[in-house]
Amino acid sequence: MITKLKPLTLAALISAVIVSCSEQKEEQHDKDKPFASRYQAQEYAPVFIKNATVLTATGEQIDNGSVYFKDGKIVEVGEDLSEPGDDDLLVIDADGKWVTPGIIDVHSHLGVYPAPGVQTSADGNEMTAPVTAEVWAEHSVWPQDPQFSLALAGGVTSMQILPGSANLVGGRGVTLKNVLGRTVMDMKFPNAPHGMKMACGENPKRVYGSKGRAPATRMGNVAGYRASWIKAQDYKKQWDAYNKSVENGKPGKKPKRDLQMETLMGVLNGEILVHNHCYRADEMAVMLDIAKEFGYKVSTFHHAIESYKIADLLAENEVCSAMWSDWWGFKQEAYDTVAENVALVDKAGACAVVHSDSAVGIQHLNKDAAKAMTSGNKMGLDIKPKDAIKWITINAAKSLGVEEHTGSLEAGKMADLVIWDGNPFSVYAKAEKVFIDGALKYDRDDKTVQPSSDFDLGVLKPQENRL
Amino acid sequence: MKMLSMKVLSKKILISLVIIVCPVLASSLAAQTLLIKNAKVHTLSSQGTLNNADILIEDGLIKSLGKNINSRADNTIDAQGKEVTPGIFAVANSIGLVEIDALNQTMDAVTADELTGASFSLEEAFNPNSTLVPHNRAQGVTRTLISPAYGNGHLLFGQGAIMSLSGDYHPVIAKSVAIFGSFGERASNQAGGSRATALKQLQTLFDESREYADNYQAILAGEYRELNHSIDDLKAMQAVIERKTPVVFNVNRASDIMLLLRFAKKNSIRIILKGAAEAWMVARDIARANVPVMLDPMNNIPASFESLGQRIDQAALLHKAGVDLIFLGQGFQNTHNAHTVRHSAGTAVSYGLPYDVALKAFTVTPARIFGGAESYGKIMPGYTAELVIWDGDPLEVTTSAEEVILAGKLVDKTTKASRLRERYQDISTEKNTAYRK
Repeated sequence: MITKLKPLTLAALISAVIVSCSEQKEEQHDKDKPFASRYQAQEYAPVFIKNATVLTATGEQIDNGSVYFKDGKIVEVGEDLSEPGDDDLLVIDADGKWVTPGIIDVHSHLGVYPAPGVQTSADGNEMTAPVTAEVWAEHSVWPQDPQFSLALAGGVTSMQILPGSANLVGGRGVTLKNVLGRTVMDMKFPNAPHGMKMACGENPKRVYGSKGRAPATRMGNVAGYRASWIKAQDYKKQWDAYNKSVENGKPGKKPKRDLQMETLMGVLNGEILVHNHCYRADEMAVMLDIAKEFGYKVSTFHHAIESYKIADLLAENEVCSAMWSDWWGFKQEAYDTVAENVALVDKAGACAVVHSDSAVGIQHLNKDAAKAMTSGNKMGLDIKPKDAIKWITINAAKSLGVEEHTGSLEAGKMADLVIWDGNPFSVYAKAEKVFIDGALKYDRDDKTVQPSSDFDLGVLKPQENRL
Repeated sequence: MKMLSMKVLSKKILISLVIIVCPVLASSLAAQTLLIKNAKVHTLSSQGTLNNADILIEDGLIKSLGKNINSRADNTIDAQGKEVTPGIFAVANSIGLVEIDALNQTMDAVTADELTGASFSLEEAFNPNSTLVPHNRAQGVTRTLISPAYGNGHLLFGQGAIMSLSGDYHPVIAKSVAIFGSFGERASNQAGGSRATALKQLQTLFDESREYADNYQAILAGEYRELNHSIDDLKAMQAVIERKTPVVFNVNRASDIMLLLRFAKKNSIRIILKGAAEAWMVARDIARANVPVMLDPMNNIPASFESLGQRIDQAALLHKAGVDLIFLGQGFQNTHNAHTVRHSAGTAVSYGLPYDVALKAFTVTPARIFGGAESYGKIMPGYTAELVIWDGDPLEVTTSAEEVILAGKLVDKTTKASRLRERYQDISTEKNTAYRK
């Protein structure tokens, strides 16, 4: 534990805060910063779940498993553990039930495209210029979007809210805990790195080409990314020099802040993770070369319909692919679907993630993973629930840079977990209880533990909640 | 090709499903027969579900159903207890009318032709070679109700037709089985901005349809006042006012549903509600009017101010009230992935809908309501052999279609996607994939 904050340079401070630090002092410091997380885990009794089938997302299935968590953190996971001695211990007999880590969706627009889907609150796509790295999705998120609670009932404990895909660079994404709050800051996953949305292919060239401006082609797209990175490199150089001068005690002239460049520089500094909407394999390969040219890393290709064609290259570059089990055909770059995409990416040793990009899909990610698993097994692979669960938990956490904190059931991690009423890889399975940081945030059997947003109140019948 | 596909068959499949192809020695006059042994058969008839049953198929029809049929057949499949259902009847989609949604030139389910409303019919535009046909067929869809997409500025905007996914050039099973329409926010928008004017326009269409029936000779001779609707549209409406053809209304708000129930009663027409977000709020009225509801059971999003009541257990609530249910597939994927309607049905079951009602909602119920039920939708002698053998519970996400039978024959399950998977399933050895056939 760090007890005293050392004097830090601005850059070091930013990276220290963004890189996973759970230390109390720094968290407090972080909270003073504008737009920082003000999420506070709810206090809750220690919980001991017993007799469950546990998928740990570390590759294990524990039959007759127990999970013990306390003060928001997982204490122990194992087979048939003996009951701990806490006075206020809450014991849950989960006989016949399954426990998994909380589901994580790396691609969601909840809050930025809330329900009802009307123009006045459609705030996900800043379609006014091909590069809008300066916008932050969190500044659009409407915390009262009733869809957050629906996702919670589907077992989703964390998600990344991204800007849309109209632009080459769409802006910053934000990772949220799926807790209702009065402000978006109350929902922000503490210390999670920002994401930065980029988009390949059809969308940017259609949106801007149809306005008679660049980009109108895929080569125009690539020229646009590269031009931005050249500017960002220059900007970074100015700030690096300035920070160095401060360190040397002879501060030079402070460069002028540029919000667009700050985001891009964050990527070049390794503090912001690139989430790249990209369907076609050949385009992904081009994007990897751009990353090479400018010295950054792509965290994840999203909607990666053709990842199976270059699964080896993706493994080699340690890039995640976020995929659907079966969506296809809505545009040409989504034509070459194979139901085995997720399984083939996984088999190649690359990081496979199942994502939703849908307010309905986010509620059923377990079923989508089950479909992807089934297609893989049908072609002769041997994928078990204990493996496939990773696609919607720990691999998603990796994609978002929060894998040290959540995504698997391991001692010391956030107690984000779901009790399912049966095998989650079944169409009939439903999340029964959802815990976030050790606190029960959803209980299917108890109306008082089912959150309603402000929007849900009195909107159908004045005396009632929407559902 | 053949050798490659054999390689990818898992051992499990090979062991569990043995297809014995006996050489046919008899003359060409002999009937083509297929025998399915030891299946769990969801007959969807009064016989319910039969275990260890055999199905004998001859010349495309189910000849007999029962235990221990020992007839010699050209092909015999030992289903080893696996489940058999009728083929999936997908509804209200654009299969065969679209290749890629975002490419208008590949999309025939919508027209901007303002003169064509209720008469807009699609069956001639159907392309049996579309990749969507084998894609859905390989996963159990054997027939579909194609429907127009909203867009030509009419409140009633075109006709549905039932098409076979056989892939041949004669796919029409039945045409003009329904007229599709819309009421609510979007309809109001094109009718001057208010539900009140939309209702007025709708009434005018029905009034003029009756006028046409009474005065068609004068109208055709040009000796009648000018009407607001084209002759073609008014002709198409005759089957509606004669109660032969129902109108499928896309509608969501409870008050709009009530309005349409009154409208249907007043005009003495048959209607079906589609989407129907808030149908559960007026479920008893819908049941009393004997109006079926077509819905996507996965959709619980209050996506507009007219669908605030959208909820996940709506199918069960409507069934409990006595409403007939037809299932749509999942959102915008109801065309490319119409086959996933069975997963939606499974979700409806998990939220309280009885299993057999869910199964019927994408097989026999739409056939009963739109047509074709005399020969499809039940597994019994005399019915068409349009079946799927599933490797597990047909509603389950871990289940696949093992064999699809259409017109009595086993369907080749090759698709563009399966070809791509074969080409790319092993990229470790040789990089030039373009020469992999």
